[in-house]
Amino acid sequence: MGIPIYTYDAVIVGAGLAGTAAARELEKAGKKVAVITKLHPLRSHSGAAQGGINAALSDEDSIELHEFDTVKGADYLADQDVVELMCKEAPETIRWAERMGAAFSRNEDGTIAQRPFGGQSSPRACYAKDRTGLTLLQTIYEQALREGVDFWDEWYAADIIYKDGKVSGVVAFNIRNLEYAIFNARAVMFATGGYARSYKINSNAHANTGDGLSIVARHGLPLEDMEFVQFHPSGLSGNGVLISEAARGEGGRLLNSKGERFMEKYAPNKLELASRDVVSRAIINEIREGRGVGPRKDAVYIDLVHLGKDLIMERLPELRDLAITFLGLDMVKEPILISATAHYSMGGIPMDKDGHVRKNNTEFVEGFYAAGECSCSSVHGANRLGANSVLEALFFGRHVGQSMINDLNEGIELRKATQEDADRTIDEVNVTLNRNGTDTVPKLREELQQSMTDNAGVFRTEETLVQQVEILKELRRRFHENCRIDDKSKIFNTDLQEAIELGHMLDFSLFIVESALARKESRGAHFREDYNTRDDENFLKHTMAYMDKNGDITLDYMDVTLGKHELKERTY
Amino acid sequence: MTSITTQTITFKVFRFNTETDYLPAYKEYQMEVTSEEVVLDILNRIKWEFDGSFSYRRSCRHGICGACAVKVNGKGVLACKERMNDIIELFGNELTIEPVSLKRAVKDMIVDKADFWEKHDAVKPYLVADIDEHPEQESLVTPEQAEALLEADLCIQCGLCHYSCPAIEENDEFFGPAAFAAAYRFNADVRDEGTKERLDVVNQMGAGVWDCVKCFECAEVCPKEVNPIEKITKLHNQVFEYGRAPNNVAVRHAVGFAHSIKKHGLLDEGELVRYSEGNLGVLKHVPVAIQMYKKGKIVLPWNMPKSDKLDEIKKLVKISSTVKF
Repeated sequence: MGIPIYTYDAVIVGAGLAGTAAARELEKAGKKVAVITKLHPLRSHSGAAQGGINAALSDEDSIELHEFDTVKGADYLADQDVVELMCKEAPETIRWAERMGAAFSRNEDGTIAQRPFGGQSSPRACYAKDRTGLTLLQTIYEQALREGVDFWDEWYAADIIYKDGKVSGVVAFNIRNLEYAIFNARAVMFATGGYARSYKINSNAHANTGDGLSIVARHGLPLEDMEFVQFHPSGLSGNGVLISEAARGEGGRLLNSKGERFMEKYAPNKLELASRDVVSRAIINEIREGRGVGPRKDAVYIDLVHLGKDLIMERLPELRDLAITFLGLDMVKEPILISATAHYSMGGIPMDKDGHVRKNNTEFVEGFYAAGECSCSSVHGANRLGANSVLEALFFGRHVGQSMINDLNEGIELRKATQEDADRTIDEVNVTLNRNGTDTVPKLREELQQSMTDNAGVFRTEETLVQQVEILKELRRRFHENCRIDDKSKIFNTDLQEAIELGHMLDFSLFIVESALARKESRGAHFREDYNTRDDENFLKHTMAYMDKNGDITLDYMDVTLGKHELKERTY
Repeated sequence: MTSITTQTITFKVFRFNTETDYLPAYKEYQMEVTSEEVVLDILNRIKWEFDGSFSYRRSCRHGICGACAVKVNGKGVLACKERMNDIIELFGNELTIEPVSLKRAVKDMIVDKADFWEKHDAVKPYLVADIDEHPEQESLVTPEQAEALLEADLCIQCGLCHYSCPAIEENDEFFGPAAFAAAYRFNADVRDEGTKERLDVVNQMGAGVWDCVKCFECAEVCPKEVNPIEKITKLHNQVFEYGRAPNNVAVRHAVGFAHSIKKHGLLDEGELVRYSEGNLGVLKHVPVAIQMYKKGKIVLPWNMPKSDKLDEIKKLVKISSTVKF
């Protein structure tokens, strides 16, 4: 019996905010659309977004200020035409989600409430208590369900069908029983999420293994600005689980072991509400210089006690709960322990502002689209502002969905899939299942994550990065030659899945490190101790990295689209 | 958290693979558990340190995605939100970890949740409204109106209430607490226009809210404190508020109950059955009634006593009634 081939107008991989928003738009426009997700849609990591979603709604704020804050936050690496588009459409995007049912927190007059966030000139983050992502994900999923979108949940998208500059489908298997299927489509969208899971201390879900990035890269397509990984200032000590920026937005103070409010040294004006890269470096610096706290002295305090129980319970109830669960500390009564945690991927699959995936600096891949954290448009440049990611996912998900509708209406031919299109995937699965050796997935993954944190983390140098390239190549060799899994069964083989995911993590991690090694400057989230200032003359440009057949990386660069917000030194 | 402590714990873990096993087995794993760990850390360690084939669902690891529900010594928990120290304090050093529903187990902790999602999808769990695709203004919802959701929107579909519900165990049709909480979430939303349709779904005989046995297990087990039974009670009221109550035995049971309390201040069980099931229907219960009469559980209709606080009870009924039958 052959592998079933399902035919759709559009196939979307990933059911977070971006993928589901696109699917809803396509379905509403009468397109036949499938969404493939390795989880249930409601398990997607968009639901973990806590603090808010930005839009210049109030009279004191303006779209231009939102643009400026975003571009400055990005350390001027953002493409300003794309930033303009997103900021302009932000108010409508949020109101659209509200009309669909999102349960935002409200002002007395019934309008959507907003709170301050780091790096912003005005309280701009619309929020639903401290579970903004949850209400948005649920809302978009509910409305997609209402429209009748086909969700293929617990299906693992293993590969794209890419030939002659065109993508014509996805090869996937059912996690329940390892049965394969080909999803043949006129248009394919990747909305597969971010890649911070390659670090030891990270805020990401187990699922955020960046599969989509290396699936694309293995076909020789580029990944953009991969060196820019955001380290969020407040992850819970020990496990990196996120304590939203809302904690600082509402007035949380950072203290070191001497009880000093150390941000006074690093960002005298904005203090705790400087942009994330600035605060994260300050925290790591305090810990490095021996002023850390906690049982491992690897954290600093965030003190929220002065906010009072009522405000904490009203606006930060989930955060309080998290600190009690993981640290046994109640923020109503005492400061809690936090440190920087790998959080967000600024880099990703390069796309233009309508979601068309780039084949190189000048050409595009036909029938292939990206949106959300796996993509790089580039709206966040070298550092993303808090509450801009949920906006990006929701806005671009919808916008790229509409762009796909336009392209489909203008006519994209369906290239018929054949059984052979699944060969690569079946090979990968069989090799992974049957390989013998002495290394295991958890062991290799642990080494990967620990070494990425040590060598390609908040602070980087030529020496650590060169070392990390070697480590990654060796890990990759061990993975391909010597990594065995215990589970040989077909039913929910999560052992197999974790192995495939590790293969992806090893591949895209090399993009991060090689791109970081070549960028001999410090910009946004990428900080080189050996080149500790921004170098606009040589590096005001996007990295475009490609992987060749041997797995080696070659680098190219692409111009940044500048605009009305002129280059300035970045201080907070 | 000033220091990290450890204890030795023995875990008996439900292992089963539908592909290869005829029956499940419980395997033992012993490990040092630190005061920082939660149940999910233990599941991870079993997989990563002992046996890679051990399978369970998980993703966010901080209590917001709802994937990792399991049972420890029969207590339903969200693995990533349950501190090991708390569990050890409750149950001691020998712990049994099982899936949320043994009869739905597919592999180890993974259960077939199809029934959960089907029921979730059946209650129209979305805002029913004409969506303005290009709004210039949001709908105005006051903080009080927003509060009316009673946190029902915090449900993460983990399924713990569903698989702890004794009514579901007995009655496959029953929608279950999570689906009802979802129905309530939208019925309570001032922007929604689908309340009547939704009530007609959750008001069905057998599947609907009337088959809730009011054991409060759903409220007890919910890791997000959604309190589904509270929402079920609200739905009971909404059925009358919106005039969606059909004349059936379930509804008459509720109405008859209220009548009895109003009339006697006490429950007249005989009359309740007659009211619910009609003059003919009551006949089939006569043998039970005779037994109950002999044991002094019920009295003859003309001997039904009245509460000596009937006046106060009548006042209470009056001020607490939000709906007319």
